[in-house]
Amino acid sequence: MWGRGSSRTLVIGTALAAFVVVCLLPPMYMLVLSVAPAAGRQSAFAALLLDTRQRELLANSALLGAGTAILATIVGVPLGLALARIPLRRKAVLRLALVAPVLLPPYVAGLAWIYLGGSRGLIAAVAGRDLLSDWTYSLPGAVIVLGLALYPLSMLATEVAMRRIDGRLEEAALLVAAPGRTLRRITLPLAAPSILAAALVVFVLAISELGVPGLLRVRVYTTEVFTAFAALYDFGRATLLALPLLLLSIAAAVVAGALGGERLLASRRGAGVPPLPFEAWRRPAGAAVSLVVAVALLIPLAVLGREALGGPSTRDVLAGSRDAIRNSLVLAATGATAITALAVWIGYARARSRPRVGRSMDVLLVVLFALPSTVVGVGLIGLWNRPGPLGAVYGTNVMILLAYLARLVPVAALALAASVRLIPASQEEAAAVSGAGWLRTMMHIVFPQIRHGLAAAWVVAFILAFGELGATILVAPAGEATLPIRIYTIIANTPSSHVAALALLQTAVILVPLAALGLTLSARENS
Amino acid sequence: MSATFLRLTGMTRRHGSRSVVDDVSLDVAFGEVVVILGPSGSGKTTLLRLIAGLDVPDHGEIWLDGRRVTERDRRLVPPHQRRIGFVFQDLALWPHLTVRENLGFVVGSAGVAKAGRDERIRHTLALVRIDALANRYPHEISGGEQQRAALARALVGEPRLLLLDEPFSSLDAELRATLRGELDGLQRALRLTTVYVTHDREDARALADRIVEMRHGRIVAVHETERRERDS
Repeated sequence: MWGRGSSRTLVIGTALAAFVVVCLLPPMYMLVLSVAPAAGRQSAFAALLLDTRQRELLANSALLGAGTAILATIVGVPLGLALARIPLRRKAVLRLALVAPVLLPPYVAGLAWIYLGGSRGLIAAVAGRDLLSDWTYSLPGAVIVLGLALYPLSMLATEVAMRRIDGRLEEAALLVAAPGRTLRRITLPLAAPSILAAALVVFVLAISELGVPGLLRVRVYTTEVFTAFAALYDFGRATLLALPLLLLSIAAAVVAGALGGERLLASRRGAGVPPLPFEAWRRPAGAAVSLVVAVALLIPLAVLGREALGGPSTRDVLAGSRDAIRNSLVLAATGATAITALAVWIGYARARSRPRVGRSMDVLLVVLFALPSTVVGVGLIGLWNRPGPLGAVYGTNVMILLAYLARLVPVAALALAASVRLIPASQEEAAAVSGAGWLRTMMHIVFPQIRHGLAAAWVVAFILAFGELGATILVAPAGEATLPIRIYTIIANTPSSHVAALALLQTAVILVPLAALGLTLSARENS
Repeated sequence: MSATFLRLTGMTRRHGSRSVVDDVSLDVAFGEVVVILGPSGSGKTTLLRLIAGLDVPDHGEIWLDGRRVTERDRRLVPPHQRRIGFVFQDLALWPHLTVRENLGFVVGSAGVAKAGRDERIRHTLALVRIDALANRYPHEISGGEQQRAALARALVGEPRLLLLDEPFSSLDAELRATLRGELDGLQRALRLTTVYVTHDREDARALADRIVEMRHGRIVAVHETERRERDS
């Protein structure tokens, strides 16, 4: 259609080169660095892996990931089923409320959990004695907090998978079987690959999480990498410790990508009208949805609010963190713009590539999104912290933007690829036949049709960048803090009311636009 | 053919302000083959879905074998208790199950004793001449074989009523004629009460005891055919 010398080659080629430098090189550099032969390195590596403490780290990380994936699936799958198959009232608003926990930084939920069940928490205050703190600061505690933060991924994957199922397949089953048997034998097996892929993504995100295990004093690889780098200044040890985490993440993400790919995000409907055989479950489903929203969102926010109001002056706290707040907003907005600008070309390239190449790209993008943030951070430091022009970038806020890009371009590209694939390639062919160049076709034919996808990608990138901690805390220049870094670093030596106030502010920046969107959707549903 | 097996009275189904099925009344006798003939959008598929219980009418009633199964806005008997075999236009074979498992799901749901299931499945596959394909998945067999598998799945539960929604619409003329002949033979052998929806007059003439023509959701004509005259 368009020749090799067209603007398409130039733009896509440049975007792919930028993608390789920004997203691929940091983890590859880290991988090469950690396995490269060096004096004493292999024996150090063997010692690290055989060390009893390291085996405990591996077990803790695996248990945290598996427990979180199981809990998120148990909570998320029935909710996805309810959203896809039960005629609930105000469904758009309910969906937003149910999705909200995954948009909040997990450490915010971790803080709420501590203020609720810690030795000086709300439950201890009401009961008059410490009932739960041993349990609060534990691996099961971390599993619960992360499970309740990440279940929306399982829920959305289940809902999307169920919407893609051809309604006739279920109707054919309903003619001979009761709804429960149809669900077990036809619907769920058809949705199973997506559900399993989502569980693997949750597993990887849980083992990649730094904030929650750090707060709840659970020793896992991410906390150990952070300690090795930030407290012991031992870059070699941090690199070695990140390697098992990297390999575990890649293995799980490769399977998840192969099972789900962009289908985890694309919401194209299957043929036929999906039947609604579960009308009788409307009330129990409504009650379950309310319970989950209360436990995963409203109670944590109420606990944070109570803690924040217990302090002297919220205004002083906010004034003291003004620089971090401004930094966060500016960097997240700049980062989201850069992420969307790069991801749209990568997403386009994926959408218009041959099926086999496309599937491989899906796997690569899922793997890159699932990389632990600490691994990305260590890779970025290794790559950019050196003399010469690269060193000029290190020590500036550009490193934070690079961390955002490395972490979030892959997921934005997956989402935008799904949007582009909804546009038939024949529309571009029609433009080419009529004499339009590729850039003109993109501007006038493709972009207008994916404008909602572009807006959604920007908003999600902003929200995730605004809450990013694991990579940012490693690469942020001295003296420059974002809001998540400030919250994480003042927890130990600042009154809890101050920390809670900042966590609430962080939550508000994310939830206020979300609530406005909810009200708009609600008004639209009512009309 | 005598006693009425299926009775529709004053059936109306609206989508918004538009009546997709508009005040349709029809009696179908035991063992009779009624072909609903009409162009796209005439309401014939919706009528079939109402009979199966996959949709509910805004007005009217459905009676099966003397029992009221649907009344205005309400299913009195759920679809899986009506003992209906349904061949969908796009066949709707379950892609994650083999042909044998597709039929196995039906007999398992119908509560057939485990000992008798394999024999029932084998017999039905032989009836439609695809017994060699039992262990293949739907995507591993040809279009014509998929049609036979869908028909076998509809028959294996020993339904009292067979509903077919343009099952041969995607086939070429030759294969279509072959399958039409086989379906006719099967229907005569099993004496199954059948409602067949199509827009093809040739299908209608070959299979029907009676042809019911629909336009804009209403029945506009009913003809008896040579097939009925031959049988009587």
